[in-house]
Amino acid sequence: MQEKFARSRVLFVQYMKRDWKKIIAWVIGLGLFSAAFVPAFEEIGKGQGLRGMYETLQNPAMISMVGPTPVENAADYTLGAMYAHEMLLFCGLFAMIIAALHVVSHTRKEEDLGLTELVRSFQVGRQANSLAVIAEVVMINILLALVIGGMMTGFGVDTMTAGGAFLFGASIGMAGILGAAIALVMAQIMPTSSGATGSSLGIVGLLYILRAGTDVSNVDFSMINPMGWTYLTYPFTENNWFPLILAAVFSVIVVIIAFALEGGRDMGAGYLPEREGRESAKKSLLSVPGLFTKLNKGVMISWLIAFVIMGAAYGSIYGDMQAFLESNEIMSQMFTISGVSIEEAFTGTIMMVMIGLVSILPIAIVNKLFSEETRLHLSQLYATKVTRAQLYWTSVILAILAGIVGILLASSGLGGTAISAMGDGSPMNMWDFFSAGYNFLPSVLFFTGLAALVLGWAPRLGKAVYAYLGYSFALNYFGGILDLPEWFSKTAVQSWIPRMPADPFDAATFITISVISVALMVMGYMGYRKRDMVEGA
Amino acid sequence: MTNIVKVQGLQKSFGKFKALHDVSFTVNAGEVVGFIGPNGAGKSTTIRTLLGIIHRDAGDAKIFGKDVWKDSLEIHKRISYVPGDVALWGSLTGGEIIDLFMKLHGGGDKNKRDYLINRFELDPKKKAKGYSKGNRQKVGLIAALSVDSDLYIFDEPTSGLDPLMEAVFQDEVEKIKLAGKAILLSSHILSEVERLADKVVIIRQGKVVETGTLDELRHLTRSTVTMVTQGDVAAMATVNGVHDFKQSGNQATFSADNECINDILSEAAKLGVKKFESVPPTLEDLFMRHYEV
Repeated sequence: MQEKFARSRVLFVQYMKRDWKKIIAWVIGLGLFSAAFVPAFEEIGKGQGLRGMYETLQNPAMISMVGPTPVENAADYTLGAMYAHEMLLFCGLFAMIIAALHVVSHTRKEEDLGLTELVRSFQVGRQANSLAVIAEVVMINILLALVIGGMMTGFGVDTMTAGGAFLFGASIGMAGILGAAIALVMAQIMPTSSGATGSSLGIVGLLYILRAGTDVSNVDFSMINPMGWTYLTYPFTENNWFPLILAAVFSVIVVIIAFALEGGRDMGAGYLPEREGRESAKKSLLSVPGLFTKLNKGVMISWLIAFVIMGAAYGSIYGDMQAFLESNEIMSQMFTISGVSIEEAFTGTIMMVMIGLVSILPIAIVNKLFSEETRLHLSQLYATKVTRAQLYWTSVILAILAGIVGILLASSGLGGTAISAMGDGSPMNMWDFFSAGYNFLPSVLFFTGLAALVLGWAPRLGKAVYAYLGYSFALNYFGGILDLPEWFSKTAVQSWIPRMPADPFDAATFITISVISVALMVMGYMGYRKRDMVEGA
Repeated sequence: MTNIVKVQGLQKSFGKFKALHDVSFTVNAGEVVGFIGPNGAGKSTTIRTLLGIIHRDAGDAKIFGKDVWKDSLEIHKRISYVPGDVALWGSLTGGEIIDLFMKLHGGGDKNKRDYLINRFELDPKKKAKGYSKGNRQKVGLIAALSVDSDLYIFDEPTSGLDPLMEAVFQDEVEKIKLAGKAILLSSHILSEVERLADKVVIIRQGKVVETGTLDELRHLTRSTVTMVTQGDVAAMATVNGVHDFKQSGNQATFSADNECINDILSEAAKLGVKKFESVPPTLEDLFMRHYEV
């Protein structure tokens, strides 16, 4: 036992030293995001705000996205209840994703890069690294929980008790730990680090979709879902610590399984078997587009499948929406007055959400060109007649195509299931769904252009484009709720785009943003052409 | 002899660090130029500049008479390159990668490819992530050698190869040299450079400190002489041109200036020579001499 975990503490300290900047950004960033909206919510809560919000959030569509609340009637809906209802699930989700990515980067990825081999040659136990990483992530999440709890208590809101605030923080921290545990196991099973990342995020996504379904139909089923344990604590209302205990136990079990798996396998391998190779290359590989398609194939296929599933999951809710409207007088008044059906209003919002996610794929494809560069995979190619223009534009065009197909799949998934759920009385047809989706094409192009620009001029900032995407997404998502000043919400590119089919199509905006995006790509090329290639960073 | 590569006064800085101060050398057709220097001297930086991977700050760099940055596409159609660190895509096999490199080069000789895969004893069906360092290098070398170019640039080509494969590589380089191609070979393995190179360029801290053929370079240093005489060999110690004299019994070892060889031999003959061994300076001696100063 001793031998397996030898020198864990040294590795742990090493990770602290290496990651301290990342840790600060992680804890403060996520902490602020989770806790700092309290004043904004206080504003919304004034007057009839709380009641109105309660009614809105009883909509099955909203429950599927945001989660349920235990509060039975609008009068009991306090500020605390509203905050937990709207924020907890998403903050937990972010915590989970960040923790999962971090774990993979310190385990599987380092193996792939050959760093683990060097470390293992010293007197370091075989599983010492995993133990150190888990210990690090647990510590970070505990810190996160305390920071969130402290911040929220600091606001001094009546309905947000200290106990509730710390439960809120703890729920988010626990979500992070769950994400880390899942990632640790996937790092043992998958043969590559991208496989580990992809499957971990895939599992998180799957849990989210499952809970979307169970939250709407029968909340008790959500208790079986590990993700459910992160928000069914209902801080400020029921204040239930029990789900966290379940989550903790589950995490411990999963981590033990991960350790067992690691003890049995060779370094650099996963449990999934390798497939035999070819002696000569297939014709489809023998070109720059062929090569890049092959390199990005895994990522593209997984995300494209995810888009269809995501669309379908949200589409299934459309059937419930009508029922909800008919049961509730206030809501039917609210929505039929504005001349737009509830389905159309929802479509605009959900499209924005989905297309935001679709944007991830093209950014990943553009960024891949840089990671290939630093990993020295392209060294020998630079000396051939392959030009930088070919490398750059092949990546960018592949990214654009992936974005276009992504929108197609997301819209089809959404539209297909929505229409079949709504049946004969459907106010929308497939064309409405496609146009709603493709209306957001400029924003996908914009993020692609941004990634391309960064690739050409400041390639190491490739990941920062994701941060901007996340920021824009959050801004749009919470923008409506928080009533932000217009100039502020316009810093996110999606705000400029009208939400079809509720709003009419705006050709000017569509064309302008598209043109700007293409300009960014061209500028990126100019930088890429002239800069030094970064070999071996 | 045509100038294939002409580098003059090359300078390059990375931020505050000046990697290349003043690098000048030429490579002609049918010539193997050995490019040697300590770690971090600027060999790979020079090569990357020649390939248009990075942009020089000052100086001239021309291949086939064309500027390496502006006309890189034209130049690249006729060169082959193997980088110092051959990094491959783990999920592709060696055979696939070689085919890919050849195709992106604009075509190569399939028979030569098969012949080389055989000769280097590479398993082309294996996925690259399963290759050892030497095998990865073989992939790079085979891809470069299967293409017909006019200039071949090798950066540490045999650093991971076993002696058998090293010999195979040297044989193949001999072949392309005889075919009139120009070869720039950067290496740490001085014995190999000694065997292959016609001309040697020594770089240290971003500056070329010595260029010349091995003969020219040897002329400037001393040979190591080991001799056994009948009479007392101590008499040799005072002969003009003898340095670092060491004696054990009747065997003496010393360094001899090449100009004074005649005097040394005459003196030695007076003592009655039983054994006389003169070893020309190895490249390592030349190298270390520059390194120490």
